[in-house]
Amino acid sequence: MNFMKNLWNGIIPENPVFRLVLGMCPVLAVTTAAVNGLGMGLSTTAVLIGSNVVISLLRNFIPSKVRIPAFVVIIASFVTIVGMLLKAYAPALDKELGLFIPLIVVNCIILGRAEAFASKNKIMDALADGIGMGLGFTLALTILGMVRELFGTGNIFGYSILGASFEPALIMILPPGAFLTLGLLMGLLNKVSQAK
Amino acid sequence: MREIAGLSFKLFIITAVAAICLSFTNTMTKDKIAEQIAMENELARQAVLSQAETFEQIDQKTVIATAESLDFENAEIVSEVFKGLKGSEEVGYTYKVLPKGYGGEITVLVGISMEGKLTGMKVVSHSETPGLGANATNESFQNQFKDKPTEEALTVIKVGSAGDSEVQAITGSTITTQAVTDGVNFAIEIFKEMNK
Repeated sequence: MNFMKNLWNGIIPENPVFRLVLGMCPVLAVTTAAVNGLGMGLSTTAVLIGSNVVISLLRNFIPSKVRIPAFVVIIASFVTIVGMLLKAYAPALDKELGLFIPLIVVNCIILGRAEAFASKNKIMDALADGIGMGLGFTLALTILGMVRELFGTGNIFGYSILGASFEPALIMILPPGAFLTLGLLMGLLNKVSQAK
Repeated sequence: MREIAGLSFKLFIITAVAAICLSFTNTMTKDKIAEQIAMENELARQAVLSQAETFEQIDQKTVIATAESLDFENAEIVSEVFKGLKGSEEVGYTYKVLPKGYGGEITVLVGISMEGKLTGMKVVSHSETPGLGANATNESFQNQFKDKPTEEALTVIKVGSAGDSEVQAITGSTITTQAVTDGVNFAIEIFKEMNK
């Protein structure tokens, strides 16, 4: 049961974007369209699961004084390997995500979860945490991307929703739109959770 | 002293294992990636100069010499020129140009037929903003360049419908549009100079 609890924890109660406010840089930068948010979220999830498991495995080997460089090496290696594999075997996907892959290295969610969770917990728990946090991140990015794409272009996932007569609010897909949307969504979520 | 030696040793083991994993993945994927890139380039050339059946590379030294004689700010902006052949008949040329966009270098492939018409433009790779400048890879933008005459240099317009030597800017991405158009203009100049 613990597995499900750890998994669920990352999706809503400790959602990395709306609750922990981690990894803001990619959140603000890539959520110009729903599909970009989804792509970034899923590739981050893949790396997060891998690094969480490896770091949890090595938690007794890595001395605490040099844990940060050790984590960074492990995370960067994972990202590079994922990048190379995508380039070789899924070039189409790589073209879509190309820009986001190297960005994952500097995503503080991954280092944050390594430090706060994976280095202190057993493998199954770290795995659940990786999946949960990854999905939570993906969910938040996709929602943000959907809202911005809807008001910025009138589409969601490239499909027209608001029709041709809709005048797109360009600001929504420009950087200020990211701050506006994130702030409003966070406020809304706080309001909802307080009401309970 | 002893502690530092121990820490360094452990960190060394971690980085060494990471290096082995990376070099292993690299050897595994290197050829495959090179093959993918070669195939992609061939397909891209085919896309911008569809009349051609085979392609033959033009000596890069001649290209640079031509660029220098035209007083280009950066003589290496045209990085690859291929002659397109149908049987043994010359049908046109493809040019790979590297103009500077908003987020760095953009790789643009331009096809020009022997009659001096643009046969196609393709943004091969770029690091423009997703959702904005990245829209330069959209068919609708790239198709604008098809069948444009090369007598005059192309110019970018923001409003209204584009005329014969004009290109409609991507919304919110004038810099990207300008960069791509500049790249095409460089290709046109080289084409004219080399086929006088």
